[in-house]
Amino acid sequence: MSSGMWAEKYRPKRLDEMWNQTEIISRLKSFVKDKNLPHLLFVGPAGTGKTTGILALARDLYGPAYQNYILELNASDERGINVIREKVKNFARTAAIASEVPFKILIMDEADSLTSAAQHALRRTMEIYTRTCRFVLIGNYSENIIEPIQSRCSVFRFGPLGEEDAKGWIKHIAENEKLNILPEGLEAIYEASTGDLRKATNLLQAAAATQRDEIDDVTIYSVLGRVSPGRVRELINLGLKGQFMEAREVLRGLLIDEGLAADDIIRLIYSEVLRLSIPERYKVRLSDTIGEIDYRLTQGARAEIQLSVLVAKLAIVGEEING
Amino acid sequence: MTAENQPWTHRFRPSCQAEVVGNERALSQLRTWIRSWEKGIPKERAAFLHGPPGVGKTSCVVAIANDMDIDLLEVNASDFRTKKRLEGLVGRASLQTVTITGKRRMILFDELEGVSGQQDRGGITSIRDIIKETMIPIVLIATSPGEKWQDKFRPLVDVSTLIEFSPVPFGAMVRRLRECATELGISVDEEVLEYLADRSQGDLRSTLNDLEAISRGKETITIKDVEGLGMRDRKDYTPDALNKMFSAKSLREARRVISSTHIDYDTLFDWIYENLPVVLESPRDLARGMEALSRADIHQTRAQRTQAYRLLKYMFNEMTGGVALSRLYSTGTGLLSQVREKTATLGFPPGAFTVTETKAGIEVKPVKYLGNEWRRVNNGLREVGAQWVRGGNAWLIPYFRPPQLVWRYRRTYQSRRRRDEVAAKVAERCHVSSKEAVAEVIPLVKVMVGGDAVMADEITGWLDLDDKQSKWLKS
Repeated sequence: MSSGMWAEKYRPKRLDEMWNQTEIISRLKSFVKDKNLPHLLFVGPAGTGKTTGILALARDLYGPAYQNYILELNASDERGINVIREKVKNFARTAAIASEVPFKILIMDEADSLTSAAQHALRRTMEIYTRTCRFVLIGNYSENIIEPIQSRCSVFRFGPLGEEDAKGWIKHIAENEKLNILPEGLEAIYEASTGDLRKATNLLQAAAATQRDEIDDVTIYSVLGRVSPGRVRELINLGLKGQFMEAREVLRGLLIDEGLAADDIIRLIYSEVLRLSIPERYKVRLSDTIGEIDYRLTQGARAEIQLSVLVAKLAIVGEEING
Repeated sequence: MTAENQPWTHRFRPSCQAEVVGNERALSQLRTWIRSWEKGIPKERAAFLHGPPGVGKTSCVVAIANDMDIDLLEVNASDFRTKKRLEGLVGRASLQTVTITGKRRMILFDELEGVSGQQDRGGITSIRDIIKETMIPIVLIATSPGEKWQDKFRPLVDVSTLIEFSPVPFGAMVRRLRECATELGISVDEEVLEYLADRSQGDLRSTLNDLEAISRGKETITIKDVEGLGMRDRKDYTPDALNKMFSAKSLREARRVISSTHIDYDTLFDWIYENLPVVLESPRDLARGMEALSRADIHQTRAQRTQAYRLLKYMFNEMTGGVALSRLYSTGTGLLSQVREKTATLGFPPGAFTVTETKAGIEVKPVKYLGNEWRRVNNGLREVGAQWVRGGNAWLIPYFRPPQLVWRYRRTYQSRRRRDEVAAKVAERCHVSSKEAVAEVIPLVKVMVGGDAVMADEITGWLDLDDKQSKWLKS
């Protein structure tokens, strides 16, 4: 079998192989031992083992044919709560056959992206099928999950991985793939991924595709320059220089050609602005402007217009910085 | 009316499936779905056909109905306005599976994109209600220029099987145009057909209209005859109205643009946004003008969310007066300097082109014959909206250019489709959402496959991508 993407190749297959999150893992293991589990709610930042944790639990619980007993849905990809309900219904109405575990597991990723009305509908569905199906909801923020769902689930909070663990993970893959990664390279990957192991792994693999012998910080930055954040930096710099037309073309490229969502773009703009080498007080001012536009994105209907205002305002700040 | 004096788009509309050009897959999906009704009512009682304009969505439906001898009841956008009228038209029909003469029936809701705003929302809900109860196939058609089109039709998308139409391929279009010309006994230069096909971006209907327009009363058509053909845009008076708006000195004067163009205010908004940076070239003016557009967008959204349409006037004030009166420092020469800058980057010594302001726009004229360099210069100047004026031996950049968004969506149609297909595969394989795949994973995967050939093959194989998808990923 070809190895494909390392993030999948090295994704821990069993709970025993999980990296860090020891507290959570030991509780998940006790569910496997009892062959029973409550509805679960996993919250925490990206790349901290939420999906990995539940997939590993399923494999430990059901054995190699675990995929027959789980259904993975991603709330942000499904066409409305009715479609979700239909899929859940079809999956959950039959009991798990040929298994000593009497229930199946439904994994709902990005559950926090569901509207509160949709969550209420989901809660009713959870109740109807509790006998034959356990729901595992995954999200970034528990604040976005309605209280009635939270109270029906055991909540597990996944924290971002610490520096030592994150670096250890990257080294572990680098060794297996026979890469020579220098400490500066390791540092740069950690810096850019801040405890998100999927991102760190993808970044390492992208770097390895361009340079195998000595991966240092330059390798990593050159990779970062070629992905979306690089285009976003270009957008910001053009904006600061007052080259609005060119900036707008870059923005349209991001929105239309690359298909990034407006909230992803503004998130990238925010983190890039914090990294700019401009006087600190301008960062505060830009942060305020970004905050205002971030809010307007939720209030208006035209994402490109709102992001363009931000670009136009960058020029004013750019003028002031250059005196 | 005889066939001879019908518009060509009617005259050459396919009467059977064999005559449909392009979109074979969509045609067969639709046929399969209609056939499935013979075995009882399928899960999805409506088919939603979407795609760019002029690629044959309606034609496919008509052709299949003809071939299968189905009685087609067509309903257009103007009929959606009120629930009562709609139900009067189709409510009953949808419950009767055959006509009095025993023919099978089908309902077609065409031009759904014309359903706009709040007043028609009731219409969408009624259509959905009809779909839920219908005993006969219902076909919905919408032209889908933007990515968010699905949101607008969410209630319908949820209960329909989606069938996507693509632009008509270049070769197929040229072949079809030649057939039409032959049938009419007109001799047309191959060059003309290719020019028309290329310009239309896969819109066969507009190309047929163009060919008809230039061939009036002629028996032979050469590339010279193409000169008189304008861009396909019926809103010729919009630039004029915009010009008045941008130079208005009072709110009242600026607001006149709303009533003096015949385009809806969403389209007008796009025109203003497109041209704003050219008129307001001073960064401070531009920031103020953009702020006005941002506020306009918010006023409009509030009006729609709360259904308090009196709030729309604040939108109009911002997008017209707000923009026009932002102009304190700008001289309005933004386009001229932009064209000058662009011309300077083309790699020719200074003085190789003359750049002059004319009534119609800015004219860029090469001093010497360009020869092989023409195409490169043309591509460069097209980025600032230039069009080559045949016979005039110069490029013209109109002062106001139409919104580029629809064009950009069309131009990137294929690559966005590949992107979405790849995103779906990455999402499945990497246990992430498509949105996250696009934002976080694919950019890095592109670096992986671009840098290392062995890794590239491993990854494209592992993701189970076809050749087109792999090619997109490597691009």
